[in-house]
Amino acid sequence: MGSDAANDAKRGELKTAWFHILLALADGAQHGYAIRRSVKERTQGAVKLYPATLYGSIRELSERGLIEALEGEEDPDEDQRRRYYRLTESGRDALADEVGRLQAILDQARATRALSGA
Amino acid sequence: MSPTRSLGLAAYAALLRLMPRRYRRAYTRESLSDLAAILADAERFTGETVVGTTLRACFDLVTRIPGEWWAELRPEPARSGRGAHYGRPGIGERIMNVFRELRLAARTLAKRPGFTGVAVLTLALGIGANVAIFSIVNAILLQPLPYEDSDRIVQLRHHAPGIDLPELNNSPGMLAFYREYADYFETIAAYGRGQSNLSGSDEAARVRVVAAEPSLFQLLRVQPYMGRPFNPEDATEDGGYVAILAHDTWEARFGSDPGVLGRTIELDGESIEVVGVMPPGFTFPDADVDLYRALWIDPDGPFGEFGMSAIARLAPGATVETAQARSTELIPRVPEYFEPLQPQFIESSGFAVSVETLRDRMVVDVESTLWIILGTVAFVLLIACANVANLFLVRAESRSKEMAVRAAMGAGRGSVAASFLSESLLLGLGGGLVGVILASAGVDWLLSIAELPRANEVSVGAESLALTALLSVVAGLSFGAIPMTRYVGTRFAAVLRDGGRANTSGRERHRVRNLLVAGQLALGLVLLVGSGLMLRSFAELRAIDLGIEAEGVLTMGLHRNRGEDAGLSARFYADAAARVAALPGVETVGITTNIPLASGNSNGGSFNIESRPRDEGELPPVAMYRAVGPGYFSSLGIPIVQGRDMEAADWEEARRVVWVNEDFAHSFFDGDPLGERVAWGLDTDGEGPPGPDEPWAEIVGVVGDVREFGLADEDLRPNAYFPLVVDGPAALEIQSAYLTIKMSDGQDPMELVAGAQRAVREFAPGVPISATRTMADIVSEAMESTSVTMVVLAVATAMALFLGAIGLAGVISFVVGQRTREIGVRVALGAQSGDVSRMILRQSMLVTAAGTALGLLGALGLTGLMEAILFEVSTTDPVTFAVAPFVLVAVSFLATWLPVRRAARVDPMEALRAE
Repeated sequence: MGSDAANDAKRGELKTAWFHILLALADGAQHGYAIRRSVKERTQGAVKLYPATLYGSIRELSERGLIEALEGEEDPDEDQRRRYYRLTESGRDALADEVGRLQAILDQARATRALSGA
Repeated sequence: MSPTRSLGLAAYAALLRLMPRRYRRAYTRESLSDLAAILADAERFTGETVVGTTLRACFDLVTRIPGEWWAELRPEPARSGRGAHYGRPGIGERIMNVFRELRLAARTLAKRPGFTGVAVLTLALGIGANVAIFSIVNAILLQPLPYEDSDRIVQLRHHAPGIDLPELNNSPGMLAFYREYADYFETIAAYGRGQSNLSGSDEAARVRVVAAEPSLFQLLRVQPYMGRPFNPEDATEDGGYVAILAHDTWEARFGSDPGVLGRTIELDGESIEVVGVMPPGFTFPDADVDLYRALWIDPDGPFGEFGMSAIARLAPGATVETAQARSTELIPRVPEYFEPLQPQFIESSGFAVSVETLRDRMVVDVESTLWIILGTVAFVLLIACANVANLFLVRAESRSKEMAVRAAMGAGRGSVAASFLSESLLLGLGGGLVGVILASAGVDWLLSIAELPRANEVSVGAESLALTALLSVVAGLSFGAIPMTRYVGTRFAAVLRDGGRANTSGRERHRVRNLLVAGQLALGLVLLVGSGLMLRSFAELRAIDLGIEAEGVLTMGLHRNRGEDAGLSARFYADAAARVAALPGVETVGITTNIPLASGNSNGGSFNIESRPRDEGELPPVAMYRAVGPGYFSSLGIPIVQGRDMEAADWEEARRVVWVNEDFAHSFFDGDPLGERVAWGLDTDGEGPPGPDEPWAEIVGVVGDVREFGLADEDLRPNAYFPLVVDGPAALEIQSAYLTIKMSDGQDPMELVAGAQRAVREFAPGVPISATRTMADIVSEAMESTSVTMVVLAVATAMALFLGAIGLAGVISFVVGQRTREIGVRVALGAQSGDVSRMILRQSMLVTAAGTALGLLGALGLTGLMEAILFEVSTTDPVTFAVAPFVLVAVSFLATWLPVRRAARVDPMEALRAE
């Protein structure tokens, strides 16, 4: 740990797009368009990653070492030209940290009855 | 792949070039193949449009550009090994220069407010016009209708051109027929519109009612905001006893009272219960609806009575094309379904059905006009860009020494290029910013002068803003690139040596400028021809003999409750007319059920001629009829051509008499119809003519033709006029009638409005009054679509000519300035000022001639697109094509005149000293 990413996560600043991309990759390597699709499905269309945001975020995440591109591993059924990305160890950590952080906020909110609907 | 999609991809690819090289290398391929997939999805099954999605993706890209550049230039790049190989030392620094250059550019521009202001305003005009028109085109033509899955909603219409009824709606019988056989429709719903008197609140009001089958809301997949939708039981033969309010009505008339459900309102004197309120923003079929009632359609209704509109939702699997094809296949089976109907009637009447998407039907009147206007303003933007490019060239010229000095001091060509590009980019963005402001004002203005369908959906929204950003950047880069290409390749030493005069590169620059100006003039000429054609169309429209004298006539609608005794209504109207006629300044007052060009509904159909019994299977003649009162013909100045005028006794005694127009007289009686007897009221099922006791009406007069239905020649139809009340089949239920009030000479009809309303209210307080307008207004409204197009094209043309003239004047005066020394020498050597003027004029006129030739070619190629919106004017109208070039030459001559005068007055001593 001690990487940039973990620090970002600790400060609670994992950008929305980053978080969704990491979450999408949690189940295994995917190519860019598949990431977009699974984020769109998971959020029921609320989050649509257009190419520039998607690949800009992928670049940022790669530079921070949270994800990495798989060289040479291609799905024979799919478009041969697509590059696959997967979570790195620190990516997994950052995602876990972020989930933990969100959980803590949720717990706090519950504790203060903000969500009790009263 | 559709052209829109390829265009979207191309635009995105072009924008990608603004990203840092590293990003492009890594992600261009993936971005483009992703976008292709996204657009394909959008086209196939989501509710989004390809254009909208492209714009969103482009907007997304543009917003990411600064961040990617920042990541590129950050002092300590946090890159992993991957990108290291491209990171040639110094690249970060070089790109930092771009930012420095931008700051420098901003300072430079700020120092020249005149130049900056003109450039920004010019671009703002071009961008603003485009964004405004795009906002309208986007909302009206590109966005799906605001109903769920709206592209599967179709409108049904019928046609019977063989019996002069090219446009028919739907009849109860045909609806039942489709419900029985057309399984490719999931739901069919008929609706019609009308007006009713709403009373009970403070003042009696006229409300706009849509009567719709209960299945309509289900078809549109909409639920009420409050209360319940219609049940099938709500629709009864007498109109039903429940109503659903439009949201606006609920707000405006009922103060958003949540207790309105269950409340009883008086509609045409009947008690009606409010059972629901529709959601905000929901209107059908357009925004002019106050409330909805349930419509009952007789399932055993006749084949005839084509009075109602109908829409259908396609069943899963069906497409508009298959629905059209299968409906057409069904038509020959219609006679089997309606026993008395003869198969040859279907054939000889050319009976046909059309199935089109509701969206297409809604926008059919404006579609071609809007595209033409969008094309026009695109021209204006091109001209604006050419103009700013010219300004840039001129300015660059004066900065050539500065550039050369910078180059000599070691600035690379890239840096010189960057300095031009950053200035032009800043100007483009400034133009975009001001353009958006102009656009929102422009949209308001356009919506206020034009009657557009779906106008309530128009706004300068996110997509328009994305387009603005796109146009700003593209415009900025494109006109910045022109001077840049001229300079980046220049040998700077040569520039330093001779100051940019009289050398090859200098001449090349002139050529570029001249080309730009010629191009501008050519575009301007195309627009000039376009608006010239519109002007000619409008003149043709004005020249039509409407058959009435519209000046000095006020119209006023009076509305009785539904279902009232016709005789009683007629007496009421006659009383109202008498009271208004007694007012000072009134010459004549007429009564009619239909005002020419104004009231859409008209009665009519096949009729019989007593002296000419029809053979079995022969098609009956068809004509329209309406009811009028004494004084109607004279109030509108309609001449009595044969026979006599109408008199009070005609309706008081319910005489069976009728007047016909000249078209009627010539179509059916060779111009001599007096004494003939005719009768309407038999349906097309052809059950034989009326017997001797039936209400035959005798033709006692022939009146001049009136363009009752529209301005075009084909809108002139055989028409008959009955006295306000007669018995028998032709008796009209006169729920609404209009007074046509002719003022004495020179009196303004609008001044009578208050008095006339008071006069009617005094004796009939509960009767709503509507449509208090002058006949002249009604006529100009009928010409509206042509006149609005004309105004918009004229504004665009004026902008284009103005910009073109400025461009030409700018270039000429710059040339004069540059050549001051040469002119000075010539004058010193004895040239007359006339020689100098001629020299410069010749140059300007050469450019103009080139532009004119180019423009005429362009206009010949493009005016064909205007065919649909022209009225009785050919797309190659010789008058327009002869006059427009003259106007262009005159404008460019004027633009040259001022600089030439300056040149002619050059003092040789001054000129030589200037060096």
